[in-house]
Amino acid sequence: MKRLSYILSVLVALSMLLAACGTPAVNEAPAAATDAPAMTEVPAATDAPASTEKTVLNVWSFTNEINTMTVAFEGKHPDVDVKYTLIPMTNGEYQTKLKAALGTADAPDVIALEAAFVKEYVESDDILADISDLIPAAEAAKTYPSVLGVGTNNGVLKALSYQATPGALFYRRSLAKEYFGTDDPAEIQALLADLDKFTAAAEVIKEKSGGNTYMVGSSGDFQNPFFSNRAQPWIVDETLVVDPMVEKYIETAKLFRDNGYEAQASQWGEGWFAGMNDSLVDAEGAPKQVFSYFLPTWGLPYVLAPNAKSADGAHDTSGDWGVITGPLPYQWGGTWMGAVQGTPNLELAKEFITFATIDEENLTNWATGVYTNEFLKAIDPSIPDDQKQAAGDFVSSQVVVEKITASFDDSDLSKFLGGQNSYGGFAAAAPSVNSELMTGSDDAIQRALNDPIAQYLNGEGTIDDLWATWKDALRVEFPDLTIN
Amino acid sequence: MNLANLKRNYYGYLFLAPFVIAFLIFGLYPIYNTVALSFTDTTIMSKTSHFVGFKNFERLFADDIFMTAVKNTWLIWILNFIPQLGIAMLLSIWFTNSRLNIKGVGIWRTIFYLPNLLVPAAVAALFFSLFSYYGPVNQFVVRAGFIPEALQFLQDATIVRVLVVFIQWWMWFGQTIIILMAGMTSIPIPLYEAAMVDGATSSQMFNRITLPLLKPILIYVFVTSLVGGMQMFDIPYLLTDGRGSPRSSILTNNILMYLKFSSSKGHIGAASSVGVLIFVMTSLCALAIFYFLRDRDQQSQ
Repeated sequence: MKRLSYILSVLVALSMLLAACGTPAVNEAPAAATDAPAMTEVPAATDAPASTEKTVLNVWSFTNEINTMTVAFEGKHPDVDVKYTLIPMTNGEYQTKLKAALGTADAPDVIALEAAFVKEYVESDDILADISDLIPAAEAAKTYPSVLGVGTNNGVLKALSYQATPGALFYRRSLAKEYFGTDDPAEIQALLADLDKFTAAAEVIKEKSGGNTYMVGSSGDFQNPFFSNRAQPWIVDETLVVDPMVEKYIETAKLFRDNGYEAQASQWGEGWFAGMNDSLVDAEGAPKQVFSYFLPTWGLPYVLAPNAKSADGAHDTSGDWGVITGPLPYQWGGTWMGAVQGTPNLELAKEFITFATIDEENLTNWATGVYTNEFLKAIDPSIPDDQKQAAGDFVSSQVVVEKITASFDDSDLSKFLGGQNSYGGFAAAAPSVNSELMTGSDDAIQRALNDPIAQYLNGEGTIDDLWATWKDALRVEFPDLTIN
Repeated sequence: MNLANLKRNYYGYLFLAPFVIAFLIFGLYPIYNTVALSFTDTTIMSKTSHFVGFKNFERLFADDIFMTAVKNTWLIWILNFIPQLGIAMLLSIWFTNSRLNIKGVGIWRTIFYLPNLLVPAAVAALFFSLFSYYGPVNQFVVRAGFIPEALQFLQDATIVRVLVVFIQWWMWFGQTIIILMAGMTSIPIPLYEAAMVDGATSSQMFNRITLPLLKPILIYVFVTSLVGGMQMFDIPYLLTDGRGSPRSSILTNNILMYLKFSSSKGHIGAASSVGVLIFVMTSLCALAIFYFLRDRDQQSQ
């Protein structure tokens, strides 16, 4: 009996030691970590399913859309098993999780990078692998230069995107008719052609609706249009630059708040979405409308269309939308993909990136709604029922765009916009998109500005307080930055 | 201790070994590594790093935000701990009092403990929705006529701080009740019976019997709550934008550490310096609690 307990305790101690040694060995191949427990003979059985003959490619992203691509990729490559991990980025969780995993055995092979922070990864020498050999293929697909520009650092290509993301202004046709007597996009564009006209129109809407229709849903709506029109990036020579356009943004947001042109919802919050399907009610229960939303290309299929019908089905604004350039031409967002340095599957990762961002057939399928749930289920029956790609995402390859634009003339997407082919409008705007303002620090700098602006708009403190709190917050996150 | 003794104690060391080994690897090494990192300018985005001495710490004290974080953490912890201990103590006394003989103590205790089983993320999401501008709380207070128009509750520094204090209290007082009740029921009943025979009042019995014998439990409650409070993170992080907004009113130590870590370049060195200071501060305070609540009788014996 004593002997048995002795053996047992030694085994326990040994297995703990082995398990413990396996985990911190961060830079070893993943095999080292999984081998350790196997030696204690416990989870040997769980090792077996992983070692099927398929090559595993780990892909991380922050929305479920790229999962559609991974399933389609598996359809073309039956020998590959793409493991898709979704981590939301509402408050930056994705970026944090990614930073924690990079450089360890848990690092994925391919990562999705949002416009707000892609530059930070592209500019670092130690994170993304060089994928410059994809340049010829990208050039053949006529990938928009701004898309390539974002993914390139010192002539080395590190990330590619399947999207180009010029911005637009979406407005409610019925409300336009009511307040301006027309819902024709060209005439509405003329009415809202610059900021002064936009503000004047907001006043008209407020007066004619008795304050029940707001020009925009949230002050955050202005953020991207204004930030896109800065003359300088946030950081020049390690010094913070506050462009006049940033001041103009805050001024405009304050004007809209004080005059009741803005619904005070928070962007991406319940009230903001409720405005899209006309189910917004204020605290007293009075119905309110939102006239327009600043959204880019992807905003149409991912944000506006899915939210145009309220959850209870009582409100539906489909077909009541029009799209114009709006007062400020801008660009907003986009998702790039890069291969992580040191991945053992670099070639496969490149193949996946090529498929996702350059391959003509995939991009065509992606943009025209071929990837339905049934299509994807046929490849992988285990995918969720809402996994699909609705038509209308604006792709990065000009070759594909030119081929498919006409196909949207009579599509569901155009019906959603009252017959307007948004794809054509975006195709005209895309080549002139300028991405040179983007830097790796944009995300953190802009996030830090949200609360000071909210306080200022609520009337808490002066504009100087706003700048001071913002700069204090930046000092925390940018110890090397000169902030005057 | 000679060799024979060592052999006799062999099993003791053997059984201790797993803990000691696990502690060295998962407890001591991370602490050592954090301290080591806090003297460097390590970032995630670059593989090279340098020794920078006390620069990270100097910066922390040069920026007002660190003192703000320390103040916030203490304020939120104290404001939640006092009612937490007070109410838990009161309820525990009622529940264990044989004169009151409250029925269904187990059920009450379960109900009070339930919030602790909720995931903090769910609790934060719940309160976020309740108090949002277009949320139910605004609808209720406006329609009932308490305030003329809807408020941006989650953009008001005081309200948000009160919310965090309330959530922390609500989630943790049930836990404290369970620990205090366990302590109180372990006090021998004959002591109370003897006191009653001698005509002691309830408050006398509480002050002279319950409190002194509960001291070890109280120290435990104090120290665990302090450690938890100094590391408060999930609720304040999730309730607003993860940056301690509004006006850095719920920016706690750990959120500050997290901000440094999750900044664009991932400044692990600077984040570690915050961690080191939290560690030092918490350790000193825990030692102080042990010192002030130590058993003075034992020394005189």
